[in-house]
Amino acid sequence: MIILLMIALLLVFALLAWRVEKYFIQAPKVVALIAVVIASFLFCFQLFQAEHRFEVWTVIVDATWIEAFNIKLQFSLDQLSILLISLTLLLAFIAIAISWQEVSERQGFYYFNILCAIAGIIGVFAASDVFLFFVFWEVMLLPITALIAIWGHENRYFAAVKFFVFTQVSSLCMLVAIIMLAFMHQQQVGQFSFLYSDWQQLAFSPETATFLMIGFFIAFAVKLPSVPFHSWLPDAHTQAPTAGSVLLAGILLKTGAYGLIRFVILLFPNASMQFAPIAMTLGVVSVLYGAKMAFAQSDCKRLIAYSSISHMGFVMMALFAFNYNAFNGAIVTIIAHGISSAALFCLAGMIYHRIHTRDLAQMGNLALSAPWMAGVTLVFVAAAFGIPGLANFIGEFYSLLGVFAVSPLHALLAALGMIGSAIYGLRLFQTAFHGVKRDNTSTKIEDLSIREGAICLVLAVLLFLIGIYPQVLLQFTFQGGY
Amino acid sequence: MSLNTWLLLTPQLLVALGVVCCLLLISWQRSQQIIAWFTLMVLLVTIVATVSLVGQPAVHVTELLYVDSFSLVAFLWVLLAGFAAVYMSKAYLHSHLEVHDEFYLLLLLTVLGAGVLVASDHFASLFLGFELLSISLVGLTGYFRHQRHAIEVSFKYLILSASASSFMLLGIAFLYSQTGSLSFVQMQAESADNMIAQIGFLLFIAGIGFKLSLVPFHFWTPDVYQGSPTPVTFVLATISKSAMFIALAKCFYVEGFQTLIALPSIHHALSALAIISMIVGNCLALGQNNIKRILAFSSIAHMGYLMIVLLVHQQQAILLARQAVLFYLFAYLIANIAIFGVLVLIERERNVGNNIELSHWKGMFWYSPIKALVLIVALLSLIGIPLTAGFIGKFYLIILAANNALWPLLIALIVGSGIALGYYLPMIFQLFKKEVVTMSHMTTWRIRLWISVIFLLSIGVGILPDMIITPLLNF
Repeated sequence: MIILLMIALLLVFALLAWRVEKYFIQAPKVVALIAVVIASFLFCFQLFQAEHRFEVWTVIVDATWIEAFNIKLQFSLDQLSILLISLTLLLAFIAIAISWQEVSERQGFYYFNILCAIAGIIGVFAASDVFLFFVFWEVMLLPITALIAIWGHENRYFAAVKFFVFTQVSSLCMLVAIIMLAFMHQQQVGQFSFLYSDWQQLAFSPETATFLMIGFFIAFAVKLPSVPFHSWLPDAHTQAPTAGSVLLAGILLKTGAYGLIRFVILLFPNASMQFAPIAMTLGVVSVLYGAKMAFAQSDCKRLIAYSSISHMGFVMMALFAFNYNAFNGAIVTIIAHGISSAALFCLAGMIYHRIHTRDLAQMGNLALSAPWMAGVTLVFVAAAFGIPGLANFIGEFYSLLGVFAVSPLHALLAALGMIGSAIYGLRLFQTAFHGVKRDNTSTKIEDLSIREGAICLVLAVLLFLIGIYPQVLLQFTFQGGY
Repeated sequence: MSLNTWLLLTPQLLVALGVVCCLLLISWQRSQQIIAWFTLMVLLVTIVATVSLVGQPAVHVTELLYVDSFSLVAFLWVLLAGFAAVYMSKAYLHSHLEVHDEFYLLLLLTVLGAGVLVASDHFASLFLGFELLSISLVGLTGYFRHQRHAIEVSFKYLILSASASSFMLLGIAFLYSQTGSLSFVQMQAESADNMIAQIGFLLFIAGIGFKLSLVPFHFWTPDVYQGSPTPVTFVLATISKSAMFIALAKCFYVEGFQTLIALPSIHHALSALAIISMIVGNCLALGQNNIKRILAFSSIAHMGYLMIVLLVHQQQAILLARQAVLFYLFAYLIANIAIFGVLVLIERERNVGNNIELSHWKGMFWYSPIKALVLIVALLSLIGIPLTAGFIGKFYLIILAANNALWPLLIALIVGSGIALGYYLPMIFQLFKKEVVTMSHMTTWRIRLWISVIFLLSIGVGILPDMIITPLLNF
């Protein structure tokens, strides 16, 4: 019941945060923080109380929802969902902490949206009735779109519409595939069913499997994003408020990766194995294209956004390598990128808060007045381009190792992407903190405050921890033992 | 005829009785309040009667009408729409000086016409209902003759619905010449392979297509929507369209027509009609500023989506298709009640007459959150986001399209929904924009109550669709 309780609690507190603003203007953020703290406690409680280690997908909530279509309210957990929910809760803290002083307008509704988004994302990671999954998948978009459209930057409406159109159209493709599967279940067993466990028993011809697989693949490839479907990402990430970018880059993209693992690779193993060369190539193209585009940006958030495309390319490539090492690499990359990109977006937000521009040309020599910030940025940039000792290195190294065993060419080309990431990463750091502004003046900014320092510290420690002792993640099995 | 037969016809008879009593009431005492409350009463009694009849075994009432649960539930939707329309008109007509008895009378006549349409089982009764509906609507669209576009709109609607009915009559005549029958059930399947019968059928569809404003018969829609008084636009959007669609569905699901529809030529023609309605309707709505015009174009698209249910063939799919029609129309009805209800309120607050533009609801979320929330839920329902009724409607359509392998329609549905976001989302964003001047806004307890009911209904049906499906649609 705990998952349902967590979601309900987040939603109730979301409403509370919205209404309480009328009486105490500063209260919403406190309410939001309390909600996430309680939710985290509940989640830990569930994990420690359970007797097993969730090695298989275990049903923990099961109830009837819509009888007419035999739709269930079913939630399950396994180590993959647990890991991703933990990441979600962690980044929820970060998102609330980073908005603490940044957002002053309409706080109540702002935290309402943040909490709803988090509740939705937790639902996505835990739902095992696919209709329910789809509902969460769609509903989590609304608060994120609202965050972009209300608290975003200058071009926010365009970015919000673009983001919504891409995800909505692609998820309709997925809906068609979901309905086809439920209908096939009706033909083979006699009644509709949207349960994941029921679908695993279905038998289908290879062509049908391919079509269905592609329906799911499109939805997740848009979310990931992979190259032909990526164009919503730079706009959405750039225009979103900092917390929105953190949620988008840190968790929302991971729902795409999660979907690929759960609904493409595990549900249609044969079809996806046949599809693998195409998917891996798309992954490699994303790696190189993302790196190239990141290098060409002058807007720092846009640069980080393109770097996300590049990193998620690694994930896509590694997942479709069908190799144990590559799979583990993908999981580590998912977590590492979630942390490091969230951190970079936080830093971009802090800089924007101080100098009100995202243009790299307007920055320069910031290290002079903010040495701590410069140092911290260097750590996260280094993480992003895969310096050994930080988490991303482990992920990318394992991915490349696994992919090399399957397709050396893909691994070779993707490795070039790592050089690319070093180039754009250093460019970001150098122009912002050490370069000279075009007009030879230098901007004086405040250094990190304690709150900001704490955010960075937590994220940096986690990156180091995973980088130095990857066993914290690799000890788990993520059903990747094929 | 037995008593039971008459019993099943009670709803229609009650409305007819209501019309007569209204006439008497007018000659006895002209009062705005009395007639409005009387109309509400008539509708309320009829709603109760209809609800209690749902689930009764189906019965032929003479050769003309066939009353089953399908038509009863459909009539229930019409009555609910009528109820909402009277409620809106009460607010709307308040601001004018004359006594508007005729308005309510015409409204009841429209409902009666719709009642005949949804029960019709014969081309004669279909035509009767069609004309009753159209002629009263002509009166309604031009009712406020001093308003700017009233006469133009009324004339446009009159001429186009007259030409629609002549198309339809010609089509019916062709069909009759080939089959020798006007009754749906007596339609013979053998005559299907006949050119004249096919042309007749398409002409018949064209006639109904005018009313459903399917592309290319849609040209009247935006102007009439924009120029009519808002409650009348609401009637056009809900009562007229749902009744027409139900009549069409009843006729399509009869065996005699099934063979006709299964012909590739007819099937392709209908699919093409649906697909261009979805795409063109949505494209035309992009970039519009007038809210009622946007709704007009979006209704074109929605009727296009709904056409999917007409193209199914297997017997089992037809059962599901009936549910789908009723559910989709219900979801569409609720969304429209919400939007038009709020529009009527805004028009009163701002005194803008019929020309309500997007900018008039700028920033509403911040100064009147409850109205804005209702609008947001309604628009999300039209988009088809989960947890709203509209999503379940779309879900039904996708089930039907996927099961009957209607791939082109499915692709058009997806593309159309994508395009539709291009105007629905800006409508929602408008509500969140910063408002410069704060307007006076009325939120009496009555309005609050009314809005809350709609809000709970739209959310409730979205979250627990069993509420509607189990008691009403399982037959």
